Amino acid sequence: MNLSFFDQFASPYFLGIPLILLSMLFPALLFPTPNNRWITNRLSTIQLWSLHSITKQLMTPLNKKGHKWALILTSLTTLLLTINLLGLLPYTFTPTTQLSMNMALAFPLWLATLLTGLRNQPSISLGHLLPEGTPTPLIPALIMIETTSLLIRPLALGVRLTANLTAGHLLIQLISTAITALLPIMPTVSILTTSILFLLTILEVAVAMIQAYVFVLLLSLYLQENI
Amino acid sequence: MPTALIGTVFESHLRLGFFKKLNGNFLIICSVLHTSRPLHTTQQCLAPLPPLPEKGGEVRYGLIPEEFFQFLYPKTGVTGPYMLGTGLVLYLLSKEIYVINHETVAAACILSVIIYGVKKYGSDVAAFADKLNEEKVAKALAVKNEAIKDLETAIEREKKEQWRVEGRNYLFDAKRNNIAMLLETNYRERLLTVYNEVKKRLDYQVAMQNLKRQKEQDHMIHWVEKNVVQSITPQQQKESIAKCILDLKALSKSAQAAV
Repeated sequence: MNLSFFDQFASPYFLGIPLILLSMLFPALLFPTPNNRWITNRLSTIQLWSLHSITKQLMTPLNKKGHKWALILTSLTTLLLTINLLGLLPYTFTPTTQLSMNMALAFPLWLATLLTGLRNQPSISLGHLLPEGTPTPLIPALIMIETTSLLIRPLALGVRLTANLTAGHLLIQLISTAITALLPIMPTVSILTTSILFLLTILEVAVAMIQAYVFVLLLSLYLQENI
Repeated sequence: MPTALIGTVFESHLRLGFFKKLNGNFLIICSVLHTSRPLHTTQQCLAPLPPLPEKGGEVRYGLIPEEFFQFLYPKTGVTGPYMLGTGLVLYLLSKEIYVINHETVAAACILSVIIYGVKKYGSDVAAFADKLNEEKVAKALAVKNEAIKDLETAIEREKKEQWRVEGRNYLFDAKRNNIAMLLETNYRERLLTVYNEVKKRLDYQVAMQNLKRQKEQDHMIHWVEKNVVQSITPQQQKESIAKCILDLKALSKSAQAAV
């Protein structure tokens, strides 16, 4: 099969059956459900420990009301982390490269934080539009700027994740194409480029984890402001 | 259980002769009850579960179970599985069922990163997981040992108290002796007080009697003297004085003579 650079971002189909839902839900199969035993095997222990660490990390700055968000934020972190890391394997489809999925995750969650803030504490929520200590003449301009920044948040969240992952995947494809093309012509350059690809892969692993964390961190920050 | 109950109710209805009317409903209601029964919410067997195996299944090259190699060993020996693997790979490559393209390079890269990561940090992660489990078990064991230690110290204290009880008798004896001595001393003191008091009263009586006799004597002497002095008339007084002078003269003469 001949691949173009953008085939990896096409929604997967098999014999006309869309596999997109399967690819989004597949990461759930990789985590064993915690069972009733007290001492579990290594995988379950580490999984439980990491879930606890993530939840603790996310929930520490939040007050009691924010702890209602613990489940959704932790599961979102785990989902994004797994999807991103699985996407680095060859011939895989990464759902988070699709803007539709990321916007579908970012927009409702951001809107939920905003509406929670506006409903429960409207003046404090709106008060976040003006940073402390601004000089009086700047207030109108600053309020407009802050409103714009508020309204652009879901777009930023979704696009940040999409762009990072898409760019990373594309870079990997491009550099590996360069290696494949250069191998018969200039093997030395090819080997140098392989080392670049090696470093890039390590970077992509880091980016996959960081982007998932940043997505959820920003959501928890928006939540802190509004809850 | 609910199906059984409803079944018996309907059976009784059937026996009463409502056979045709309720037969259809019986089936429908039973099927509805079956779908509304809850699915597995707990483990089916309530007996203690068997312990987990110590190690996972043996795997060669991280992917292929050891059993596969054992399965092929009787027919093809040690190199059998490797020949199979090599043949498969060469078949896929030569027939271009698997095409070498840019993704192959990317695959090689990511796989080398993964293998490097697993080889370097695998044992550390396993040790960390074991440590987490060990800490869990150690905490529970610590509670148990703490409880055992507390009970042991309680037992020792109890034994010490029992030993103390044995020596209690000596203490009581000593105290009893002390008290007896105190009582004795007190009794003697009181005896002495009684004696002194009685003596005081008796002395008083004696002194009273002496005083009375003295007074009587004095009174009598005084009365006798008064009466005698009264009875001496003046004439008797002159006669007695003259007699005394005559006696004195006679005595003075005899005295002078004696000198």
